[in-house]
Amino acid sequence: MDYETLRFLAAPFVASLILTGIHAYLGVHVVERGVIFVDLSLAQIAALGSTMAMLLPFTGQEAHGPWVYWTGLAFTFLGAVVFSTVRVRRARIPQEAIIGIAYAVASAATILAMSKATSESEHLKDMLVGNILAVSWGEVGNTAALYASIGAFHYVFRRQFLAISLDHEKAEASGMSVRFWDFLFYASFGFVVTSSVLIAGVLLVFCYLIVPSVAAMLFADRIGPRLAIGWTMGTVVSALGIYLSVMLDLPTGATMVCTFGLVLILMAIARTLFLRR
Amino acid sequence: MRILSSLRAGTAALLLLLCAHPLHAAVNVVASTEDMAALTREVGGDRVKVDFIGRGYQDPHFVEAKPSFIRTLAKADLLVVVGRELEIGWLPPLILQSRNARIQQGADGYFDASLTAKILEIPTTQVTRAMGDVHPLGNPHYWLDPDNGRRIAEAIATKLAALSPPDAAYFRNRYADFDRRVAEAAKRWDAAMAPYRGLKVVTYHRSWPNFCDRFGLDVVGYVEPKPGIPPSPRHTLDLIREMKRLGVKILLVEPYFDVKTPQSIGRETGAKVLVMPPSVGGEKEITDYIGLFDYDINLLVSAIKEAGAR
Repeated sequence: MDYETLRFLAAPFVASLILTGIHAYLGVHVVERGVIFVDLSLAQIAALGSTMAMLLPFTGQEAHGPWVYWTGLAFTFLGAVVFSTVRVRRARIPQEAIIGIAYAVASAATILAMSKATSESEHLKDMLVGNILAVSWGEVGNTAALYASIGAFHYVFRRQFLAISLDHEKAEASGMSVRFWDFLFYASFGFVVTSSVLIAGVLLVFCYLIVPSVAAMLFADRIGPRLAIGWTMGTVVSALGIYLSVMLDLPTGATMVCTFGLVLILMAIARTLFLRR
Repeated sequence: MRILSSLRAGTAALLLLLCAHPLHAAVNVVASTEDMAALTREVGGDRVKVDFIGRGYQDPHFVEAKPSFIRTLAKADLLVVVGRELEIGWLPPLILQSRNARIQQGADGYFDASLTAKILEIPTTQVTRAMGDVHPLGNPHYWLDPDNGRRIAEAIATKLAALSPPDAAYFRNRYADFDRRVAEAAKRWDAAMAPYRGLKVVTYHRSWPNFCDRFGLDVVGYVEPKPGIPPSPRHTLDLIREMKRLGVKILLVEPYFDVKTPQSIGRETGAKVLVMPPSVGGEKEITDYIGLFDYDINLLVSAIKEAGAR
């Protein structure tokens, strides 16, 4: 690869490292809680909010305007409220069902809102697609600052978040305000996912969230080693995926998603070969 | 007896008048896009009622079907299509479902506006899917040359005259007036674009061959590696290199494509990314055919000046 190509790929690669950093961590929570598809659902709810904002007369129907962004975020928080309150003790309805329903209804409602919106609504189709190759240094900088502050927030309250994720019943029994912490978790999580999806698209963000965490569970039980394995895997796959995409001239996002799948399979084979437990 | 017969005659006359009225009612025209609707309105005036399906800000290759489209098509006397397979992905099923015999393909009320227009990029070799979404009948974005606009309008006027013979003179006059106005405006557009003859540009999709041919712009590349195929990394890198080499300063994007990749190309090459509507209705202020060129040429000229391309 020549200098020019490398320079062009630098911003997408740094962006993918930032995504790895926050998502491999949040993925541990998501997998432990068993709410695998919550990110798809929250991203779709945010897209619905953005589309609705474009229907309001005073937003100027500007697809990249501030109104669209903040309404999307407000909807994400609304979703966070729903997801943190529906978890009733000994509920017969699994939380995944609620998440799935929210996803389907939000998707359909977005299509309805889009059919009523004029002009720029065509752009919203791209909202969930994302294109990590086209990310700018400005976006990388903003995202890094945003994720660093959310990462710090999670680090400060790591005891509470982990307690609920690892053992919900016990956390509740210990007198914690589970709903309150759940809301904070889903709200910060939705914040991250909504921003990531704009950069990388739904499929890739889903992979960054779930695959490193699952891969790590193959080899480790404790949180520390799992994070280390997840971060390493995310970094390696990011570099490999971008490299393959350029060498084979394939769409970048989809190539990275398939690389995630391939590396996970290789890791699973390695585990059965070398780590008989 | 006299009274009775005159009463009878009066009733007959009244009946005749009532029956005759629908004959003089406006012709119901449905156009597949807003551009064709705008041209039909120019020549049809108040003797036609014009509806359209695809909106100017939508990608005319993909229009999502709505129940109202079938209702609109069901009562149409005339369907004006862009043709050259532009609408092949969405219009044929709608026409079938409308169960309107007048506008089925091949019927009198099915009108392909491209038949008299100047069509570019007609493939000379066998077209395969490997070439991407290439239109085997030539480039369907042909309305973007004002001379083609005049040809289309003339053909529509002839068609309307055949459908409603009493209004033939009316349509002919309206066409003559439109033809004169476009010719006049074209002088203005040609003058505005004259200083930039031979200017090299890159476009997202192959939407602009007729426009660039007419106004002397040189299209040296496309953001899409093949028509209808989203940009891939290698093609994007090659395009950036080529644009730097040739000093391309203008990148045209149709409003319905994602601007992320064009913007990253713009950042690398210093080219100005210009979202330019290719259709009437692509922006709120573009309400007719002449207005479309006024808007686009104004936009283009100020962008060229701003980018310092010349």
